[in-house]
Amino acid sequence: MAPAIETRGLTAEFRGRGGTVRALDALDLRVEQGQVFGFLGPNGAGKTTTMHILLGFVAATAGEARLFDTDVRASIARQRIGYLPEHPDTYRFLTGRESLAMTGRLFGLRGAELRARIDSVLADAGIAEAAHRRIGAYSRGMMQRICLAQALINDPDLVILDEPTGGLDPLGRRAIRAIIARLRERGKTVFFSSHELSEVELVCDTIAILNRGRIVAEGPAAELVPQGERLERFFMRTIGADDGEAA
Amino acid sequence: MRRIGVVAWVVWIEMLRRKDVYVLFILLGALLLSLVSLNIFGLGSTSRYVLDVGLTMSWIFGWILAVYMTARELPREESRGTIFPLLARPVRRADVVIGKWLGAWSVTLTAMLLFYGLVAGVNAGLGGTLDARAFAQGYLLHAVALGILCAVALLFSTRMNHDAASALSFVLTGAAFVVVPRVPELLVHQKGAAGTALYALYHLVPHVQLFDLRKRIVHEFGAAPASTAAVVVLYGLVWIALLLLVAWLAYRRKRFSRTNLSA
Repeated sequence: MAPAIETRGLTAEFRGRGGTVRALDALDLRVEQGQVFGFLGPNGAGKTTTMHILLGFVAATAGEARLFDTDVRASIARQRIGYLPEHPDTYRFLTGRESLAMTGRLFGLRGAELRARIDSVLADAGIAEAAHRRIGAYSRGMMQRICLAQALINDPDLVILDEPTGGLDPLGRRAIRAIIARLRERGKTVFFSSHELSEVELVCDTIAILNRGRIVAEGPAAELVPQGERLERFFMRTIGADDGEAA
Repeated sequence: MRRIGVVAWVVWIEMLRRKDVYVLFILLGALLLSLVSLNIFGLGSTSRYVLDVGLTMSWIFGWILAVYMTARELPREESRGTIFPLLARPVRRADVVIGKWLGAWSVTLTAMLLFYGLVAGVNAGLGGTLDARAFAQGYLLHAVALGILCAVALLFSTRMNHDAASALSFVLTGAAFVVVPRVPELLVHQKGAAGTALYALYHLVPHVQLFDLRKRIVHEFGAAPASTAAVVVLYGLVWIALLLLVAWLAYRRKRFSRTNLSA
């Protein structure tokens, strides 16, 4: 079975005013199907760049990236993907239901199948009661939920979540965890980036820590962190920022 | 085609829910009615005068709508961050470029249909006559010209924010409409390098004035020969294709940032 995500020697360099910045340094990453994979790292480590390359937003300087054994540069690679960006937003002049219909049509859904998927993801995301309202009138939490519903409309095999719990209240966070748990039960792959290490501990079965464009630690969550140590302390120690306060 | 259609549909829904087209339609109606009722210069009841003003205002409003609306689409996708989830679907950047152009163009065409209908209605109300074939031909050529204007605005908006893309499009297309037809007269007196540069410029800019049949409609010169109109339409379609190709080339490898284009 092909891995959901595979990168080999993935390198990304960007030219800026201060010279060339290497955002990713020969990154090798493999996410098997069915995993809930936590992708951690400090700000500027290269997490978002990795996601943007996987989604075809930017081209890698060197190396290759594949989703389900399809080169990420082909738009068809995204047919089985759902994506929730770090700052989710969508067309505010549409109603929630219209925005889901629009997204579903991009995946080729139509008619009764589309309507059934819309009802299903609205219920999953807990936003069914606001589906007929314009998104411009939604709160931030509701915006997050409708964008999550969009990410799930095509019943994706791989869901990429960039800081999905950022800015959510405890109820919203619990809802996101419940959705991830349901995806796991159904054998879906979740690629999850977060600064909320407590969330990662709760939902991920595999963790990779990225620092300065390289993987510095990777493995099953239960084995990676030494017994008696919390993920936050392990994370700080791994990225070389341990000053003893996290203990 | 399906993905292009979905992108265009979103532009349509947005325009239906914004006030731009309705405001311009009401403005045009108010202008025509005031011309008739106030009888400015004693020409208010002259149907030909009202027809001339109505068609001129349709051209101006169409120009504003085409440029302003099209130039807004891509920069706002980026500044709001909606471009990321859109491109995370099996959508190619070419689909986005063509879909945005198609949506903006078709909305503008529909608005023009309303404007032309209003002008024709007021003209008929004043007892004026109208060569239906010339009127339809005028609309068709106007439609192709609007396609060029939308493509110009879209091209600039691939690399600029909304304000900059709109301003540059207004200046360039306005100059193309007003200055380019005068260039042959200037060429008679201009020799050497300046003349060559002027001559090159003349051929490098789309000749939007070719699509303007207002005088033929107002003064009842009749429709242009079908073969001539066909050549002009073909000329316009080639320009549209060329501009969209350059827009796609400018957009296909663009790195997106939510902040650098915030308008």
